[in-house]
Amino acid sequence: MKKRKSPASGGFNRKSGRAAADSGIALAEGEPFLEVRQLTLQYKTARYLITATRDVSFDVRESDRLILLGPSGCGKSTILKAIGGFLKPAGGSITLNGSRIEKPGADRAIVFQEFDQLLPWKSALENIVFAIRQTRKLDRAEAVEEARGLLQKVNLGKFGDTYPHALSGGMKQRVAIARCLALKSKIILMDEPFASLDALTRQKMQEELLELWSETKFTLVFVTHSIDEAITLGSRIIVLSPHPGRVVDEFSVDWTRTGTRHRLQSADLKERITRILFKDMDYVI
Amino acid sequence: MSYRTGTDIPEDMRRKLSLSEKLYNISAVRKIFLLIFLALGWQFYSASLDNPLMFPSLTDTLDGLVEVVRNGELPQRTMTSLRIIVIAYAGGVILAGLLTVFAITTRPGTDLLEILTSMFNPLPAIALLPLALLWFGLGYPSIIFVIVHAVSWPVALNIHAGFMGVSNTLRMVGRNYELTGLAFVFRILVPAAFPHVLTGLKVGWAFAWRTLIAAELVFGVSSGSGGLGWFIYEKKNQLDINLVFAGLLTVIVIGILVEGVVFKFIEERTVVRWGMKF
Repeated sequence: MKKRKSPASGGFNRKSGRAAADSGIALAEGEPFLEVRQLTLQYKTARYLITATRDVSFDVRESDRLILLGPSGCGKSTILKAIGGFLKPAGGSITLNGSRIEKPGADRAIVFQEFDQLLPWKSALENIVFAIRQTRKLDRAEAVEEARGLLQKVNLGKFGDTYPHALSGGMKQRVAIARCLALKSKIILMDEPFASLDALTRQKMQEELLELWSETKFTLVFVTHSIDEAITLGSRIIVLSPHPGRVVDEFSVDWTRTGTRHRLQSADLKERITRILFKDMDYVI
Repeated sequence: MSYRTGTDIPEDMRRKLSLSEKLYNISAVRKIFLLIFLALGWQFYSASLDNPLMFPSLTDTLDGLVEVVRNGELPQRTMTSLRIIVIAYAGGVILAGLLTVFAITTRPGTDLLEILTSMFNPLPAIALLPLALLWFGLGYPSIIFVIVHAVSWPVALNIHAGFMGVSNTLRMVGRNYELTGLAFVFRILVPAAFPHVLTGLKVGWAFAWRTLIAAELVFGVSSGSGGLGWFIYEKKNQLDINLVFAGLLTVIVIGILVEGVVFKFIEERTVVRWGMKF
């Protein structure tokens, strides 16, 4: 196992530096406002106490699109749950704007992978209205107006009155994303939101997500096990190894700033990440 | 998406259903047809038996029914029964709700509910009537007591099962919105578990109605003011067997109306609309 470099203490490592230079893009500047330090997460099964991640550290700056990338078992979803406040760290800390995350809160909106995350007893519009009204002090008329705007934004303007069970998987995830934006939270956490979608829908959703991001430049932490998805969506990619989850490498990529995606660079980056992820494994690719 | 209506399918790929096909799709129409069939069976059987004391015909029963409705006896008895059941049912549901909320908020509460439901759910409520008579005397409170008992356990059992079955994702969504305590229960858990809640309410109603009629058969609260069960018992003693049948018919009709109209109405507006019907 290669010695882990802490991106927090040492800035970006050699590889990430080169990736940034390759794409000809300067790194996003700004103070880190979500800080994950030496994070160790554990959870109990019926028989064991499992260590999901050990000593994971990274920073998220404003308007980052940070990707947590790794194979199953690397604890990426567990890290996201901890940032969401659903899991107490066994060691280390997570701070948002300097204050420790203790419990779930609307300042960290979450999009889950599961399609059943929408409230099935509320229409698409009412799901968003509910999110707004629960978390912000708006009267109903204002909330409805804002919810309509958000549905337009995710191209579901006509589906406001439709109940979730009658929406396709991609549409449900769009509503979930719109609902998330409605919270106007400091940071948006996405836990493999496109993993259950078919390939074409997934690609479309990725493009739409980038468009949404370029409109409002929200801060995003996005969990995925797909290298392609990470490269497409991320401005920074944290690569995690499994059992227990550790940060093995970090890359900065920002194709969106140049307006085009460079196929060659993207292929190069993919190969490098693939090599890192499969390095410790015994089988031949 | 209009998967269900088919309005987005091109004209040449769809055909409107004929009237008979549409009618056949309405369960009420199919059931009314069967009911007519059963009624005819009743009439023909009783005619062939020709023993109005043992098995009065449908027409005799209906004649008797019209008569007791006209003279106000049956409506009054029905109102008595309905008044009792509404009070007792509401009490049972509220008790079940309190128990379940207590159960999901604390670990001992869960254990308590599990113990109580496994003890009392298999116990027919009517078996408590002798004890109820001893405690509360001959009157409404006794009947209400046994009905509350009949309603609480199945309702609590179902609501609790529903709460336990609410997906972790939905719970996390609720907590993400910083919902806690009763707000979390009523804005997330109750609607998410609503199919189970509704099943519990239905089962509770069925138990309550049966228990009420059974309890009333044992005693009339005071002469002339008993409920439907007492009506049936009284008419048997007076050998007005067609009125016994009329009373039974009333019990059945009210049962069907509540199940098929009231609960159906709630179901259509909730779990069916939400795609949560199981």
